[in-house]
Amino acid sequence: MWNWSGASHLTWLNGLAMLIGTVIVLLLALGVVTYTIYAQRKILGWMQGRIGPNRLGPFGLMQTIADILKLLIKEDIIPEKADRSLFLLAPILAFVPSFMVLSVIPFSRTHVFTANISIGLLFYIALSAITIHGVMLGGWASNNKYALIGGMRSAAQMLSYEVPLGMSVLGVALMAGSLNLNTIVMSQHTGWWNIVPQFLGFCIFLVASTAELNRTPFDLPEAESELIAGYHIEYSGFRMAFFMLTEYVYLFAMAALCATLFLGGWSGPFLPGWLWFAIKVFAFIFFQFWIQNTMPRIRADHLMSFSWKVLLPLSLFNIVLTAVFKTIV
Amino acid sequence: MHFFASFTGSMTAFLIISVLIILCAIMLLSFRKVIYMALAIGGVFIGCAAVYILLGASFIGIAQVLIYAGAITILIMFAIMLTNHEAQEPPTKWSVKNIIIALGCALLGVALYLAIRHQTWSAQGTTVNQSSTVSNPVAIGMALFQQYTIPFELVSLLLIVGLVGAVILAQPRKEDEE
Repeated sequence: MWNWSGASHLTWLNGLAMLIGTVIVLLLALGVVTYTIYAQRKILGWMQGRIGPNRLGPFGLMQTIADILKLLIKEDIIPEKADRSLFLLAPILAFVPSFMVLSVIPFSRTHVFTANISIGLLFYIALSAITIHGVMLGGWASNNKYALIGGMRSAAQMLSYEVPLGMSVLGVALMAGSLNLNTIVMSQHTGWWNIVPQFLGFCIFLVASTAELNRTPFDLPEAESELIAGYHIEYSGFRMAFFMLTEYVYLFAMAALCATLFLGGWSGPFLPGWLWFAIKVFAFIFFQFWIQNTMPRIRADHLMSFSWKVLLPLSLFNIVLTAVFKTIV
Repeated sequence: MHFFASFTGSMTAFLIISVLIILCAIMLLSFRKVIYMALAIGGVFIGCAAVYILLGASFIGIAQVLIYAGAITILIMFAIMLTNHEAQEPPTKWSVKNIIIALGCALLGVALYLAIRHQTWSAQGTTVNQSSTVSNPVAIGMALFQQYTIPFELVSLLLIVGLVGAVILAQPRKEDEE
């Protein structure tokens, strides 16, 4: 089977295969996002004793598709006082990295469309930082005070929670002795899943990734009740859809990263690799929705100190602990 | 003949990337709005990262994206957004001083170009990393923590001095305001 990792030289055939792979991963991501939104509404409804979407198609399965269609045919409004070119550029800047990080995720055992690069983990963390530009510029270019506050909050939060996130995955890198995501999965395939020896790192990763995704209880940038919607308040139609898409693609990507780093990726007994991967990804996403339904929003003045004074020392401690164990054992 | 013989895929990629970098740099100089300049410098950083990756230094390339295109550009944007909203550079005027500066820049460019052209690059240095079997981050780690441990630790000391120095510099200004 053709494999990205085997292609060292760029030829026309390899280029074509990469293009096809990109389209397949894009379609996969779009499908996952569509039904993540559906699952979110269903799960939230179930937890609140409601039914959730049930009108369009069997069990309301077509509801999200209809919502997306509605968004796409809406008028694309650009405020007169907005900075036009930055306003148009911001959703693209936000979306492109969110899709690019999917290229290093090993979806299945054969990892057909996974780039086997030696720095996959760092690649993910570095690229996800680019999205902050899009969010921030979107908030600034809208020329709206709610959008500006939302964009600023979002950038500050994502920037400061990226530090503990990066630190918490270092323990995993130490365990596997590699930054290559394929190698990390292989090291778990033969031994324990990293969630057992790296439990502290896993907990830090869960909290930091929730904050990084701007989800409850860290959804201050989008706090509906105080900021209306945050940085994308002036956006409508297609561009609004892009910001929402970014958010949910990141949810998928973060779930995939969590499954890869801590839950053994595609490895597991009996079932095929891709199914195990899907189950683990869904578990992470379900956990996010569960938290969303049960936790109140954290206070703004607690947000930063929690990241720098609690999570960062804990993750540094985790690295030292892992390094000591790694040298002794 | 030599030029066309080396015209491979990576050469084409290098040409495209360098044109993009130069375009971003020109845009950085010609924009009047400061926030556009910050975005253009982000483009330059990402282009440089692409060149690093093209040369096989993938770790340095991604570190460039993480530190420069990620953190530094965001810091610049933060500074711009928190200080002046409609910041615009005044249009350039051709005064005597500016003309002298332009001539100096052109001379510096010519001097750098000639210096680089006359340098004989040893072919050995470029093949060391590619011939080894260890992956890129492993090779860098080995070099940093075995061969260059003391300079590496000294650099970290320098960073701490810079950090503490920034805090100390920022402090008395606060007292002045009060």
